[in-house]
Amino acid sequence: MRYTQFTPYDIVLLAQGLGVTIALFLGTSLIGLLIGTLWGVVRFYRVPVLTEVMTFIAELLKNSPVLVQLFLVFFGFPAFFRINVTPTEAAVITLSANTAAFVYVIAVAAIQSIGREQIEAARVFGLTRWQVLRHVIATQATAFAIGPLIALLVNQLQVTSLISVIGVVDLTKIGNILNLRTLQPFIVWTVVGALYYLAAKLLAFFGTRLENRLRAHTAWRGL
Amino acid sequence: MLNVENVKKAFGGVTVLDGVNLVVTPGEVVSILGSSGSGKSTLIRCINGLEKLDGGRITVDDFDVSKPKELAEARKRSGTVFQLFNLYPHMTALQNITLAPIEVLKKPKAEAEKKARDLLASVGLSDRADAYPAQLSGGQRQRVGICRALAMEPRYLLLDEVTSALDPEMTADVLAILAKLAGEGTTMVFVTHEIEFARQISDRIVFLDKGVLLVDLPTEEFFSANGGMAQPRIAQFLSKMRKD
Repeated sequence: MRYTQFTPYDIVLLAQGLGVTIALFLGTSLIGLLIGTLWGVVRFYRVPVLTEVMTFIAELLKNSPVLVQLFLVFFGFPAFFRINVTPTEAAVITLSANTAAFVYVIAVAAIQSIGREQIEAARVFGLTRWQVLRHVIATQATAFAIGPLIALLVNQLQVTSLISVIGVVDLTKIGNILNLRTLQPFIVWTVVGALYYLAAKLLAFFGTRLENRLRAHTAWRGL
Repeated sequence: MLNVENVKKAFGGVTVLDGVNLVVTPGEVVSILGSSGSGKSTLIRCINGLEKLDGGRITVDDFDVSKPKELAEARKRSGTVFQLFNLYPHMTALQNITLAPIEVLKKPKAEAEKKARDLLASVGLSDRADAYPAQLSGGQRQRVGICRALAMEPRYLLLDEVTSALDPEMTADVLAILAKLAGEGTTMVFVTHEIEFARQISDRIVFLDKGVLLVDLPTEEFFSANGGMAQPRIAQFLSKMRKD
């Protein structure tokens, strides 16, 4: 058997890579969703200083390449803060922060999409800001945000491939390894691409189902 | 007692309320008339704390709406019905009505729902409890809006041009309900363009013109030739409104 030939074990390698990619994607998406939503709530409360600081950070994260952010965390943290980060830690920090910034933008838009007059009505009847957020805004804002959020997450899934550059052994990194060994780029990258495609399609499928369920109330779709 | 003292309000340099005084005692129905832009709606929005005052003082049963700590109490005592209904579109009629009683008054859900169903029945909507606002006609929505305000058992009902967005038939439906409420002794501050109706149900009529309260008279006197009608501005307004 020549060293350059494919072996059955390559399938295991690919599965491991896919596992790392999906695990990182799910983890960072969850953290990003939590932090981004929290930022949106802070902005809803118009917390002074904090709101401005967060808007500034979100702007930085949105308007610079993820790869640059990744390098800044991976090489910058040890250099400037004397904190050593493993490739996986750098990946988690960068991807979570990046997702959070975009979730924040979507959350702000979703909250703003709720008519001011409804919020005023609720306030007049004595509901606190928190009660308004929970009962009047949350449901409607979620229905508004779900479409853009799914689009964002599908995109962030592809973005995870960048972390292979700093040495995280994700699906792309496995692809790279197999490619160097077999020298069959067309086959390797087609398989890797197909796996990303399937993962993204699966994500979009469940996202759309969730969206349809949230919008089942055609009665108030006219928002 | 609802007490408006020398209230001033301006939006970006444009004076909307210029030293308005008004006292409403429990049991009274006071109608506020005036042309569009005279400050009627702004006055209501000041009373329920949606606008900050630029001067003067408003108290609802001695609770000052300008003081954040007292605003909540003041708001519990007044209920507002809005011109454009302002219902929550993702909630059924029943949920629209029970939200504040459950969350603010901490009423048990079952009790709040029973009260809401009674209110809906009283406005002829007992079969629409589970409908969403988008499934209701304008008149039905406004009737839900009235129920929502009444569910809080307010001492003062603030009505901000509640029939302006409705066609004549729906207007009649809503006015019939308001007449019934007035007959039952509900205290109302009624901003409106429905002059004849205001005349029927009001104890007093207040006329606002360019943010100034021109007159505050008992209804009969307001419409008499040597009362409100003696004011050229009011005579002009009434003659125009009646022609339409």
